[in-house]
Amino acid sequence: METANASGLQRCPTSTLQPFRESLNVPALAPFDAVKNLGRHRPTTEPALVRWLLIVLALLFLALFLVLPLLSVFVQALSKGLGFYVRTLDDPLTWSAIKLTLIAAGISVPMNCLFGVAAAWAIAKFDFAGKQVLTALIDLPFSISPVISGFAYVLVFGAQGWLGPWLAARGIQIIFAVPGIVLVTVFVTFPFVARELIPLMQSQGRAEEEAARTLGARGGQMFWRITLPNIKWGLLYGVILCNARAMGEFGAVSVVSGHIAGRTDTLPLHVEFLYNGYDLTGAFAVASMLTLLALVTLALKAWIERKESSLKL
Amino acid sequence: MSVEVRNLTKQFGRFPALHGVSLKVESGELVALLGPSGSGKTTLLRIIGGLEFPDSPDSRVFFYGEEVTHVPAHKRRAGFAFQHYALFRHLNVFENIAFGLRVLPFWSRPKESVIRARVEKLLKLIQLETFGNRFPSQLSGGQRQRVALARALAVEPRVLLLDEPFGALDAKVRKELRQWLRRLHQEIHVTTLFVTHDQEEALEVSDRVAILREGRIEQVGTPQEIYDHPATPFVYDFLGHVNVFAGRVRDGAVEIGEGRFAAPATAGQTAAAASAFVRPHDIRVTRQPGGPAAFAARLKHCHAVGPFARLELERLDTRESFTVQLSQEQFQTLQPRPDETVFVELKNVKVFPEDYSI
Amino acid sequence: MLLSRQRRVLPGFRLTLGFSLFYLGLIVLIPLVAVFAKTGALTWERFWHAAASPVALGAYRLSFGVSFLAALVNAVFGLLVAWVLVRYRFWGRRLMDALVDLPFALPTAVAGVTLAALYAPNGWIGEWLAPYGLKISYTRLGVFVALTFIGLPFVVRTVQPVIEALDLEVEEAAATLGANRFQTFRRVILPALFPALLTGFALAFARALGEYGSVVFISSNLPLRTQIVPVLIMSKLEQFDYAGAAALAAVMLVVSFLLLLAINGLQWRTARHHQQT
Repeated sequence: METANASGLQRCPTSTLQPFRESLNVPALAPFDAVKNLGRHRPTTEPALVRWLLIVLALLFLALFLVLPLLSVFVQALSKGLGFYVRTLDDPLTWSAIKLTLIAAGISVPMNCLFGVAAAWAIAKFDFAGKQVLTALIDLPFSISPVISGFAYVLVFGAQGWLGPWLAARGIQIIFAVPGIVLVTVFVTFPFVARELIPLMQSQGRAEEEAARTLGARGGQMFWRITLPNIKWGLLYGVILCNARAMGEFGAVSVVSGHIAGRTDTLPLHVEFLYNGYDLTGAFAVASMLTLLALVTLALKAWIERKESSLKL
Repeated sequence: MSVEVRNLTKQFGRFPALHGVSLKVESGELVALLGPSGSGKTTLLRIIGGLEFPDSPDSRVFFYGEEVTHVPAHKRRAGFAFQHYALFRHLNVFENIAFGLRVLPFWSRPKESVIRARVEKLLKLIQLETFGNRFPSQLSGGQRQRVALARALAVEPRVLLLDEPFGALDAKVRKELRQWLRRLHQEIHVTTLFVTHDQEEALEVSDRVAILREGRIEQVGTPQEIYDHPATPFVYDFLGHVNVFAGRVRDGAVEIGEGRFAAPATAGQTAAAASAFVRPHDIRVTRQPGGPAAFAARLKHCHAVGPFARLELERLDTRESFTVQLSQEQFQTLQPRPDETVFVELKNVKVFPEDYSI
Repeated sequence: MLLSRQRRVLPGFRLTLGFSLFYLGLIVLIPLVAVFAKTGALTWERFWHAAASPVALGAYRLSFGVSFLAALVNAVFGLLVAWVLVRYRFWGRRLMDALVDLPFALPTAVAGVTLAALYAPNGWIGEWLAPYGLKISYTRLGVFVALTFIGLPFVVRTVQPVIEALDLEVEEAAATLGANRFQTFRRVILPALFPALLTGFALAFARALGEYGSVVFISSNLPLRTQIVPVLIMSKLEQFDYAGAAALAAVMLVVSFLLLLAINGLQWRTARHHQQT
């Protein structure tokens, strides 16, 4: 079984067997069975009526919880017309929020990428005591409330925190400023790449790297020519998820942000700022950008999953 | 001497994999490392290839007299073919074979045209000339194994190491590849060690066989030597089916039931309980009491499909079961019936003192 | 002997492990230790006063109760959705499959404002319910809706691969032994899915406990009525009551660790079970 992770973000391998099975016809029965044909189905599926009922029920649930909210974002965003929509997005405050969001993601994604590759290399390719514990610890940021994550950083870097006085004496402000936002973003997106790469590299084993070594490859050659090409899709997958979370994080960033529009607001914080200022349409206009980002993320994710399952023969 | 290992010792956690193994391989030889799983044969091969390192400071590995014990794998120039091939899945066949040449330091890296020529020559050698653009996932198991071999050969290794080269293939392909490997070795003559658990494969392909058991070498010799003169009961049993009879040694002969059989190797030993090893095809079955060199047995079951017939018999005195192999011709002549009592004569009896165990 | 001196064929073990431990310590462990250090500096009375005040107890009750209910609803519907996505072919299946992850990819603030608007008395859904006196936004029901939304993918994504891996022959065997389809599901399929279902439930529950962004918009956040623990911690932070916040955070961290431990244990057992069979 594919193990689930605490973020719940994981690939869903699409079965290749299923369409084939569906296309199998029910074998012909003896004539006197013809009467029963109406309720006839293979022993591994349900009666048609039950099937339809279950499908309708599942679709209703998904429509209520996923499709409707999605539609509502765009309808609300455009409720005052396209002109208002464009004006909201072209606002200097929005632009500065976009900039800060890009900075936070632009720093945290590469850092966690580097960590993810290093941790996955050590954990997947070597045996050492404490491996299980390390793997579990990597998941920690997923299981912690974002508010508590932000608070933990306040306790380290804030004015009353461990490093606060030392930093203040040097005129460095981290909490309620941009560095704090970047740091908590690194924290909340910490596990994404590692989580993706560890099982992937474990399943690939060490044989290809060993083969490269016996053929004379030095460490760097082995990594760039063999390891990296083998994990590139998994890495991209992790990066996309990591980026989505980095750009969308709200709770943790909210704790360490100074909430100064135009200075320390990221896009999700800007949504809150507009919402609390009763500019609902503006809030939804900014929210629609983040929703588009989510849709692009899902599309890329589905694309990589298909790409990967077609590579796995 | 092209490969020599001395006193190799290796432990995995609390499980000892090798205890002081020493072995010499002559230049150009094809040597099989044969043993059951867990006997340490793969560990031995991986230490020679630089993929594991021995634990003990007395352990040494030499290539052509040069010590390589501490030389890392990528500087050792030992071609290694992995059990599951370990082909680079993102590179096509051509690039897989060329890999070892492309990672050479730039001052000794051959020109592109030289690389191309060498790879094409190897593709021809493995009879996959038109497969250069295929990816490993598009090849059959036998083809992958040949690519793995070519890839290992491309860097002109000082020694070729093959880990269960045919282990993951089906029986027919296995046999074909075995003969192909033998011919390939005659052609290129590079010193080769290969690991196998299949005794038939080891005896058929190799110049010499080293039999391993529980991290030690039991016997080294040509296939003929070890088949005809197994040094231990383990080797005897491992190289094909064998019957074991409980008996006693007396005056250069072994007594089994009422029969006495010559066993020259035991001259000088007396009155010791011993185990006598006899191959199923070294047993003759008759209806006449055959004098002193025979004992009585009951026929339990016959199985006569195929080129040989197999009889299951039971000694009348100890009720020990044993198997006899007859040619179809002998079987037709004898026409045995279940439950009848027959007489059994033994040839080529090999006796080991009782404290040996298999 | 975390770093044994044994020689290794593949390079970079010490470098990568060293860097990983350093980075883990710096980014994750030190800040978390800071929370416990802050809590440890409190006197027992102050800790108790903050962590067990009536407002805090009300917040625990709401957080745990509603998270549990939301995870339960997700267990039922998640199983249904996973089953339908794996076993049946219908128009739009792929799209739905991809869309299941929306709650992961959608920023929680966006989910919050959208759900609040949908379920408000003048919203698309709220206006149908308002005539019956049923209010969702700004009530506990709103908290429930938000926590159900953010927990939705967990059960689906843990159960889905297990359904895919089910051996159809086992179901055929059950049928040949005389079981009807419902009996097969109840006695053969459900027991096989149960560990994954439980894992998915635990993941959804853990996520709901920590959720902040979506709830803060859809709830009225009134102490003792509609205030969940993370929102309570946030309000303490806004009043610069770090001691009070630390006490609550420590309680929630311990709960998170226990849940993480339980989930890891569950997954480890499931993996082992699968290796054996």
